[in-house]
Amino acid sequence: MTNYFLSLLQLCDSNLPTGGFSHSFGLETYIQENKVQDKASFAKWLRMYLDEQLVYSDGLACRLVYEALENNDLAKLWELDRRITVQNLPRETREGTNKIGERMLTIGVDLYASPLLQTYKRRVLESVSFAHPAIVFSIIAFQLEVPQKLGISAYLYSSISGLVQNAVRGIPLGQTAGQQVLREFQSYIQEAVDKIENLAEEDFGAVAPGLEIAQMKHERVNIRIFMS
Amino acid sequence: MEKWTGILQLVMEKKKEKTVTKTVYFQGALKVLRPNYLDNSGQACFFIINPGGGYVGGDRYRIEVTLEEQAELILTTQSATKVYRTPKTPVLQETEFILKKGSVLEYIPDPLIAYRNAKYNQNTVIRMEKGSTLLYTDILTPGWSPDGEWFKYDHLRLKNEIYLEEQLIAFDHLKLQPSDSQVDEIGFMENYTHLGSMIVVDERCSTSFLNQLYEELESHIIDCKIGVSMLYESGFTIRILASSTQQIEKLLAVCTSFIRREWFTKKPMLLRKY
Repeated sequence: MTNYFLSLLQLCDSNLPTGGFSHSFGLETYIQENKVQDKASFAKWLRMYLDEQLVYSDGLACRLVYEALENNDLAKLWELDRRITVQNLPRETREGTNKIGERMLTIGVDLYASPLLQTYKRRVLESVSFAHPAIVFSIIAFQLEVPQKLGISAYLYSSISGLVQNAVRGIPLGQTAGQQVLREFQSYIQEAVDKIENLAEEDFGAVAPGLEIAQMKHERVNIRIFMS
Repeated sequence: MEKWTGILQLVMEKKKEKTVTKTVYFQGALKVLRPNYLDNSGQACFFIINPGGGYVGGDRYRIEVTLEEQAELILTTQSATKVYRTPKTPVLQETEFILKKGSVLEYIPDPLIAYRNAKYNQNTVIRMEKGSTLLYTDILTPGWSPDGEWFKYDHLRLKNEIYLEEQLIAFDHLKLQPSDSQVDEIGFMENYTHLGSMIVVDERCSTSFLNQLYEELESHIIDCKIGVSMLYESGFTIRILASSTQQIEKLLAVCTSFIRREWFTKKPMLLRKY
């Protein structure tokens, strides 16, 4: 058992105060339109979210962060931070993601301080960088010497697990149903990690149009329990 | 030098009250005629012509347009862009727009129609100076196949990168690969067939302006799905899922007319093509 194991559990724990519980990333729009209303329809939505948003943006970003850090290419890191932020065209989702990223960065600095995380935080304070959770998570994981594929799968798991909890509250679903979805997604996460390994950099940031529109429409949803 | 199937290089400048051609060069399967002036505002309008009638496998096209300070241009196409069967190398369309201070570009191409087994990559880079205006639209159709079935193309990949004073402010990457994902399903086309997009960048973009535009648009939102949102900086984007080109054209026209009226006191654009 290596020493990063418990650190990873902590980083993926829903108790980590990143504020992820207040963002649905478009799910709430689908719930209000009755397109997502039970375990089956949620699992289908979540699969799409994993295979599109998480694979092409967050997940590929994780891999590119690892590669940039292996090459000591910080310019690449800052470019990626900007690109993944401005690629997120729906405002609420973009701003929400940056908020989560900022909190994770603060936690990172407090728990696993390093010159790189300090620099990242300073850049965010100076508004030259944005803070994205996938990038912060990957920097921490890299510093803890978590192998790349494991780091990516841990990040995907924490995202999926957060969305499952939000679905349990938002749809709502039973706790058991939520856990069953999470269990079912273990193999999908493995597939996603394999897919990410085989993507080209030019694949970065591809979006699914319906999901993007749902994320934009959320800005005009009247009654809401989530901020995005 | 790289080999292009068609290349078009255009530089426009403002002379007195009128935008005129400074330099123009084209070769191969892309060309333009002389500029049109659709109203008395001095804004020039070019129709890009693809004499070949459509794109085939391995084709590579490049368009470079520079608007000097204060130049105003409407750029459109003469007809829909058709991408035919592309067994091997995807078709590449590269476009670069450079907008100097105070210039205005309205880029309103006709819809894209991808035939069965078509592969199409489009990379558009827009470099703007502060004080310039971009109004960009595009429409993706479900394509065409001999058996009348839709979404038989292999893939469409469209990327837009917008830089303001050399900083990336928007990156829009759409990829539709019907064999890979169920286009009808949740998150994708969701039982709609046509996808429209609009990106507007201008210092005057604000949340309140976008809300006004949305109010203007709202009564037209019937049998379609629309998202509007502010960009990270000085702009907004609109995405539309609908069931026909005409429906999207109508919705986009509501938006462009509103913007033309509010910012430029110009009348709606009438592109007489057919």
